[in-house]
Amino acid sequence: MLQIIIQGRGGQGAQTAGNLLAMAFFAEGRQVQSFASYGGARRGTPVSSYIRVADRPIRVRCDIERADAILCFDASLLAGPLLATAGPETLIVVNSARTPAQFAADLPGRRVIPVDGLSISRRHGLGRIVNSALLGGFARAIAAPQLPVLTRVLGDEAPKLHDENIAACEEGYRSVEQQLGVMAA
Amino acid sequence: MNARDDACAREQTMLLTGNHAVAWAARLARPQVVPVYPITPQTPVLEQLTEFQAAGQFDAEVITPESEHSVMAACIPASLAGVRVFTATASQGLLLMHELLHYASGARAPIVMANVNRTLASPWAFWPDQTDSLAQRDTGWIQFYSETAQESLDTVLHAFRIAERVLLPAMVNHDAFYVSHALEPVRVPDPSLVDAFLPPYAPEHRLDTAKVESWGNVVTQDMFCRHRQALGEAMDRVPDAALDADRAWRELTGRGYGLVEDYRCDGARMVIVTMGSMCGTAREAVDALRDAGEAVGLLKVRLFRPLPVTLLRDALAGVPDVLVLDRDYSPGHGGILHQELRAALYGLSAAPRIHGYLAGVGGVNVSPEKIVEFVHRAQAGDARPESVWVR
Repeated sequence: MLQIIIQGRGGQGAQTAGNLLAMAFFAEGRQVQSFASYGGARRGTPVSSYIRVADRPIRVRCDIERADAILCFDASLLAGPLLATAGPETLIVVNSARTPAQFAADLPGRRVIPVDGLSISRRHGLGRIVNSALLGGFARAIAAPQLPVLTRVLGDEAPKLHDENIAACEEGYRSVEQQLGVMAA
Repeated sequence: MNARDDACAREQTMLLTGNHAVAWAARLARPQVVPVYPITPQTPVLEQLTEFQAAGQFDAEVITPESEHSVMAACIPASLAGVRVFTATASQGLLLMHELLHYASGARAPIVMANVNRTLASPWAFWPDQTDSLAQRDTGWIQFYSETAQESLDTVLHAFRIAERVLLPAMVNHDAFYVSHALEPVRVPDPSLVDAFLPPYAPEHRLDTAKVESWGNVVTQDMFCRHRQALGEAMDRVPDAALDADRAWRELTGRGYGLVEDYRCDGARMVIVTMGSMCGTAREAVDALRDAGEAVGLLKVRLFRPLPVTLLRDALAGVPDVLVLDRDYSPGHGGILHQELRAALYGLSAAPRIHGYLAGVGGVNVSPEKIVEFVHRAQAGDARPESVWVR
């Protein structure tokens, strides 16, 4: 079973991102469970979204205490409580303009992949709404779900600016592909 | 392909939260009146129903009074007028209805209500905790606790059939977040299949200006006492009605749940007993323990009122140890399911030792690994009459 935590702040779209990711995995024929635990859903307070993906019906109903992968919407939340859910193998994708080298220096022993979600979203006319860009980067980092499936879900679910959301998702995907290429080289 | 297979084939699998699954069940049940007031974490039920209504897919009169007390005050006369009534609430909202919950059962109004189990103030919180509905156990409402979004959808439909047969109101409870807000695959039955399962509500007695009857009159001691006995007799008919609904639903959809469910209890030396979403987590713990050669099972309590005492005694007689996990707390008494189990099993020959753990109160996380720890701790210790706090 793949266990994912998406961490953001109320209003950033972490809960929506979790549901979109679950929809994409479901569209690929996987079993999914996605829920958010929020402190009354106030704007700006930390919000955790939990996603489980498996090939058989998911029965367990508790928070994820050890994540296989983390998507963090706000680098200021990449600290104690969230890092406690990460092991050495946990892939962490974080919304940040900082470089991978800076994260490697600050968080030694962690696998952190930054995606500059804000710049990507602004380039595509999405303002501060970063979840499409981040989901694209995250999908490349964990090699699932497939990009065409994810972009189809984003296109279907986006209330407006469908093409812009799809383009931001694809650019997020490419930005992580580039980073992984550099790391492999 | 006969009509039934055809209806099954038209069942759709959708990704729904537990709350949206409940809204789908309400839509399929075709209630005529839905008084409702929003409260976290029930609000998505109301939002989805009003969206259905706006799209012309839900032909009910949705009434939005100024409080949950007024919601129940609207539900009761609507139900007594002979129409199907649905509502949903949570936590503080359920408590505000308390006075009228008694009234609804006394008036024999078969209202169906979904409740999302959430902590009670003070202090203020939004976490899963079943004290809200367990504190209503003496109100004369049938109570179900559901583990999954699918079970919530199916149980709301069962609840209408049972409630309308015995003329008692029914409450379907599911946990905040782990069920209410968890998005998961849910099979939504075809409307024709639900129509076959749930014929229109047509009570013999109803408020009708052309055929005058009345409810809630002032009565003598004797009449009151006989009224309460009649209410108890209606409760006594619930297990058969519920089993019948479960059986009929299984024939139509392939899905059945029982009133209590025995999961891997064969030859068990210890049986975990719990309700709601924690059952799913406990299944994983039971599998891990069985894989390690430990004879541990799970007994899921789905119907809590009336408490299926005979089924519980049959299931647990001869089991050496029972571990009750309560996500609720009655100060001065302990875990409510723990104390109910102790009463239900009292006097049983070969009665189990009953351990009561307050696990997950206030939404504290309970993982499968924690449940394995609790089992080992219970095996190593004495069974105490009082409930024990565990983390």
